[in-house]
Amino acid sequence: MNDVILITGATGSVGRELAGALACDPAVERIYAVSRGIGSTPELPKVAWIRGDVTLPLRLDVAREITVIVHAAADTRFSTSLSAARAVNVGGLEQVLALASRCPRLRRMAHLSTIYVAGRRCGRVLENELDHNAGFVNAYEQSKYESEQLVRTWANKVPIAVYRLSTIIGEEAGGDPGKLGAIHQAMGFMYHSLAPMIPGSPGNLIDLISLNYAVGSIAWLLRHRFEPGSTLHICGADESLTLDELLDLVIDCFHRFRPAWRKRAIAKPAVVPLETFELFVRSVEEIGEATLCRCVNAIKHFAPQMFYSKRFDDSQAQRALADSGIQRPRMRQLCSQVVRRLIETNWTAAGRELVTP
Amino acid sequence: MSIGITNIQYVLPEQAHTLEALEASGRLESPAGRLREFGFDRVHVSAEPAETLAIEAVGRLLRESAVDPESIDAIFYAGAIPASHCAGAAAENFLHGFNYPVSRVQFECGLVNAAAAGVSQLGCLGLMSAVRSAEGFLAASPAANRVICVSADVFPHAAPREVIYNAISDGAAALLIERGAARNRLLAYRQITKGYYWDCIARKNEIVAAYFPTAQHIVRETLTQAALTLEEIDWLLPHNVSRRSWEILLGLLGLPREKLFDRNIAAKGHVIAADNFINLADLTDLGLARPGQKLLMFNFGLGANWGCMILEH
Repeated sequence: MNDVILITGATGSVGRELAGALACDPAVERIYAVSRGIGSTPELPKVAWIRGDVTLPLRLDVAREITVIVHAAADTRFSTSLSAARAVNVGGLEQVLALASRCPRLRRMAHLSTIYVAGRRCGRVLENELDHNAGFVNAYEQSKYESEQLVRTWANKVPIAVYRLSTIIGEEAGGDPGKLGAIHQAMGFMYHSLAPMIPGSPGNLIDLISLNYAVGSIAWLLRHRFEPGSTLHICGADESLTLDELLDLVIDCFHRFRPAWRKRAIAKPAVVPLETFELFVRSVEEIGEATLCRCVNAIKHFAPQMFYSKRFDDSQAQRALADSGIQRPRMRQLCSQVVRRLIETNWTAAGRELVTP
Repeated sequence: MSIGITNIQYVLPEQAHTLEALEASGRLESPAGRLREFGFDRVHVSAEPAETLAIEAVGRLLRESAVDPESIDAIFYAGAIPASHCAGAAAENFLHGFNYPVSRVQFECGLVNAAAAGVSQLGCLGLMSAVRSAEGFLAASPAANRVICVSADVFPHAAPREVIYNAISDGAAALLIERGAARNRLLAYRQITKGYYWDCIARKNEIVAAYFPTAQHIVRETLTQAALTLEEIDWLLPHNVSRRSWEILLGLLGLPREKLFDRNIAAKGHVIAADNFINLADLTDLGLARPGQKLLMFNFGLGANWGCMILEH
């Protein structure tokens, strides 16, 4: 029996690529891709676009056809308020779960989450762990944490698995960063001498993955190793670079791919205690200088996460992917390609330019 | 051969303006309250030109040191602002540009055997760099024993008194650098110049951002040069920029607040190139520095130049 798949958030970086990957699967008959607006949706084989807002009740005529749901819709802005993040990341999930309960043929549902539901926890983070009281760096983390709590309450009603994704830095082939995120912006600030410091310790691991690894893993797991009630980390894990290694690598890429940059002699950002970073941010905000404010605003909602040293365990995901041929990306190569692409495009992506002077 | 700073004398104009008075006269970019939060209280404003303050500082230095003016082998005059290198008012005749204050100081103070030179284009790092030049001069001149380094800067009348969130005072400081010095021996000096930031207006934000990691870097390098660890530093003698920036820098360096001699930030303001040495003089006068203690000075000058010097008291 062929699958009919519903994907929410299908215009996002992951959702769009996932729709394309699943469409290539002969076992997939049709994909319904939910999007708030249908103006910029790509044409993909087997994909039918449906206008819909996950924060509102989803009443789809096609519900009876659906065998698989991938819930990728999310408000991923680190700077958003908790109420706004909850509205999409918890409220939206609740609507999709309600829809799922009305899909008689539903066999699998994947909820895409983030490894940073671990919030301010430190140390080794296992896939089967969720509960903690360490707090969160931003509302995005907290709302995704709460969304996983919601998943638990529905686990006996809907066959659902949670895939926690790491930070996606770009594509392996060509290094396309996709939609520019906070990490790309931070690299841009380094390039333009606007990144004086980063909170953390030099040895803290920075977990990153490629878009290919994220999409390939989810597609494989859905098709071949779906296990309801499971939670898997799709992350860099042991391949991760330390903060110091990553900073050195980025600087090295600036030197290699833009030799003229060397003569600027721009310093590597200092790795500082969190309170020092916060004092700098507060000082910049008090001074009110527009460019510096934009820079600190772009990174202050995610950078503190680097202070909370943690190592994400993905052993269950690795076991599930064992026969897939899918491997974690080689981090140095991936990051180098992405930085090179960022330099070549001057930090532009999808027509959007980085906030720089 | 030990070369060190054996005497320091400084001159601050008596006239002082509160931040609020400066704000009322339109001479601050930031609100007075914010600069107060950053540790400032007042600035000293001179009605006399820079070279007058320099002459007074050198005169005091000679008297307090009880050295014969004719025994001075060289004088290095450091001025941060371009006007500090031209004695008298700017004139219609371009030859007035050759009226060098160092020559006038040499004459007025009777330093008849002193070779004279100016140290410029280093912003607030000028005096520290002059000390390094004096050390080099003494090392290269076996017959020479004494050098005077002096800095003097006076902002133009009614000019803004705030530069990159710092409240600026006029003033002068004169140092006696001697071979065989028993105190304030120079252990290490490092300067980093980054010409990318030469345009201090266009690159103001980048300078603010570059300031901190480069400061951390140069302090570490200078400690390595002196074969010291940060824990072995007894006092950090700052340039009197905002206390807030020092709190941030202390966080980067991992140095406890009590090692920072910061009481002059409020009382004296940022006396351009003279801060570190005014602070050393006051630290000594207060009896806070003990023989053998290691003193670290850090300074930054537009240009952009970072400097770090370590002394043994």
